[in-house]
Amino acid sequence: MFLGVSAYFHDSSVCLLSKNGQLIDYQKEEWHSRIKGDRSFPRLALEQILKNNNQVEKKISKVIFYERPFRAWLTVAKYTLLKYGFKNDLIFNYFKNFWNSSISFYKDLNNYIDIPDSKILYSDHHLSHTLTSLYFKNQYPVTSVVIDGYGDHLTTSIHEVKSNNEINLIWSAKYPNSIGLFYSAITDYLGFKINEGELQVMALASYGKPIYYEDLKKLIYLDEDKKLIINTKYFNFDKSVKKSYSNNLIKIFKVQPRSQTHKLQKEDINFRKYANIAASTQKVIEHLSKKIFKYAFEKTKNPNFIFSGGVALNAKLVTEISKEKFIKSFFVPPSPGDAGSSIGAAYYGFMKSNKNKLNKNIIFNPYIGKFRDKDIYLKKILKKISNKKNTIKTISDLIAKNEIIATCFKNIEIGPRALGHRSIICNGHDNKTLKYLNTQVKNRSNFRPIAPVMTIEILKKYFNFNEKILNLYKSMSALAYINKKKNYKNISPILHSDFTSRVQIVEKGQLLYNVLKNLKQKNITILANTSFNISSDPIVYGFEDAILSIKKMGIKYLMTENGVYKNESI
Amino acid sequence: MILTPQKNSNINKTLLEFAYAEYGSALEMLAAAKRTNSDKLKLGYIKHALDEYRHTNLILQILYKNLEKEKLDKDKNYIFYAFNCLTKGYVDKKGFLVEKFHLKKFVEFVYTNEFLAKESFINLKTRIKNKSINKTLDNIISEEDDHSKISLKKLDSIIDDEQKHWYFAKKFYQKKFPKAQIAIAFAREKIKNKIRTLYAKNLVILNKIFDPIIYIVIMLFGYLLFVIKTPKSNKNLLKDNGSSVF
Repeated sequence: MFLGVSAYFHDSSVCLLSKNGQLIDYQKEEWHSRIKGDRSFPRLALEQILKNNNQVEKKISKVIFYERPFRAWLTVAKYTLLKYGFKNDLIFNYFKNFWNSSISFYKDLNNYIDIPDSKILYSDHHLSHTLTSLYFKNQYPVTSVVIDGYGDHLTTSIHEVKSNNEINLIWSAKYPNSIGLFYSAITDYLGFKINEGELQVMALASYGKPIYYEDLKKLIYLDEDKKLIINTKYFNFDKSVKKSYSNNLIKIFKVQPRSQTHKLQKEDINFRKYANIAASTQKVIEHLSKKIFKYAFEKTKNPNFIFSGGVALNAKLVTEISKEKFIKSFFVPPSPGDAGSSIGAAYYGFMKSNKNKLNKNIIFNPYIGKFRDKDIYLKKILKKISNKKNTIKTISDLIAKNEIIATCFKNIEIGPRALGHRSIICNGHDNKTLKYLNTQVKNRSNFRPIAPVMTIEILKKYFNFNEKILNLYKSMSALAYINKKKNYKNISPILHSDFTSRVQIVEKGQLLYNVLKNLKQKNITILANTSFNISSDPIVYGFEDAILSIKKMGIKYLMTENGVYKNESI
Repeated sequence: MILTPQKNSNINKTLLEFAYAEYGSALEMLAAAKRTNSDKLKLGYIKHALDEYRHTNLILQILYKNLEKEKLDKDKNYIFYAFNCLTKGYVDKKGFLVEKFHLKKFVEFVYTNEFLAKESFINLKTRIKNKSINKTLDNIISEEDDHSKISLKKLDSIIDDEQKHWYFAKKFYQKKFPKAQIAIAFAREKIKNKIRTLYAKNLVILNKIFDPIIYIVIMLFGYLLFVIKTPKSNKNLLKDNGSSVF
């Protein structure tokens, strides 16, 4: 068996692959520690994997870390020392936290499981990303593009995947020239937390106009030799841990950076200005990424693409890139960022140990976080109002009455987007319920949209979409555009201000498909779906988290595999 | 829960530390709920965690209201990051209390610390009150006065909760364990708390001592880093040596 680990940067996780390369279990540290984006060594995730899979410790043949720890540390330390010398807080922090970085991986690991040095492997950071995509899209040959903040020594790369034993690095960009770090700096400027607020920047972009595009495209670009260049005069992320942007950037935007101490709302005086910054940034990364994809195609002549790295979480970017005519097929894994990289790391171990391809029968399944728990005590805390048999009917009836339901159902979704198993759902046609869910229950800013769930038939009825990325709608990774020729008034609550929507399509056999099937006779064809967590918390994992969250958020109904429960304290 | 220094000159810093302490407490209680087999205890821990989460939010509301007049660069120092509960030691990286302590020690810890927490909040309330009175005297803007009233009301509700947590922990402890032991536990926790307070108070001085040492290390070893050459990757990444940390 192969145990992949990603940790120390953000969103630590552990993944277990069988000796045949089948994914057995996947756990994120934040699910268990309840600390959003927890980057510490994933001891609780590891503990859960050992608990879920009896006697597994003895069967582990390799433990694979998702990057090469010393190379990652050295890259940043050398660059910072060379460019800025000793007196900057980044280098100070780097040395001060030396033992809290990935350097201590082997030591930390051995605190929890007894693994000899000979069984440890280190993958390349970007290779781990590529292998995560490959795991879900078992396709050869294929071109892989990785765009993220940074990992090991690179920030962006193109891999030509020729076969299961040949993956060539054909182009790369080095730290600090990074699209991901550029996007994070703007995230910081707009008053959102780095590594947490990037998706809010994407949502904000739909309200703005790209009026700063011409200025921003001069700050990060591909030069004539296809080198990615960032102008660090405008950014501080390469010398400071406190602020990612410099005062020069303020001169461009002519609006002060936003404070993180309050939520941005549509009514705020500078809302449009901040939206314009977000829209300009979005346009810059779309423009740049398209150039990188085009260059990848020129080099490989292969029109089939896989895309990963944290930047691939940007659904608008994914949708725009996929429109490029030279792209024939396009795939993004459900967790393309570092959190999903433990899968790629484990797959690296498998590939190093096996010369055979992965089993071709792998079915795309985002529900891979194993969850086994009895909910006997739930009925002592909540009132059970329906048994297992009547679950779908009960929640369908409740949704028809515009009630809000939380789900804690079987295995948990791997990615940051809840796809039904750890979701809060309600009638997607009802504007009042949606607003209440967004701002009161979830405590989110009022500009953030809620994603809809529908069948493919409804998608086709109301939306224009790209057939090439149909699969991505299963994991809510792309946008669809409303067909304005149709009467869409009925579904307007789930549309963004730019008439797009981050649609999730469901298929036969899935929980939300069954709910929608039941609701069809009540003329409800769309559900609103948001992750089961309050905005600053990690997504719910177990029943204790679920009880705590429904009480915290004031949700009346909880659905589990065994029935529906009512929170009577509401 | 690790308590924070009482007489810190910076009220915003104190509020932030209180928020971390309460959040850490919430995580501890939730972890305890997950590890107990008793339904009754599970519900008790969940309720306790809910209170602590609510306290965190209330404290942050007071803090962020206070920060409205601060300059942006300053208020960045007071942003709450849940992960800091680990780095600041409010939750031990190596394990939750419930993992490290047996039941008796765990309940003892909750009992004594909830009592001390209640005392700390009373102290904090006094400080807020003083500050608001001074501010009200200095500033005629009625908003400020409203804000301080809201803050005091919020702190009152927190103190009520801490009293309740302490009462339940006490009741549970007395039912299960001999009375005499609690006096020792209290003394021990009070000493620990004093040491923590002393440590936090002197953190600035400690940093003044240790920061130059780190700078010396950087200067000594910084240049040595340039001697270390990372091996070049093969074109085919799968052919690279998988055992190398470089």
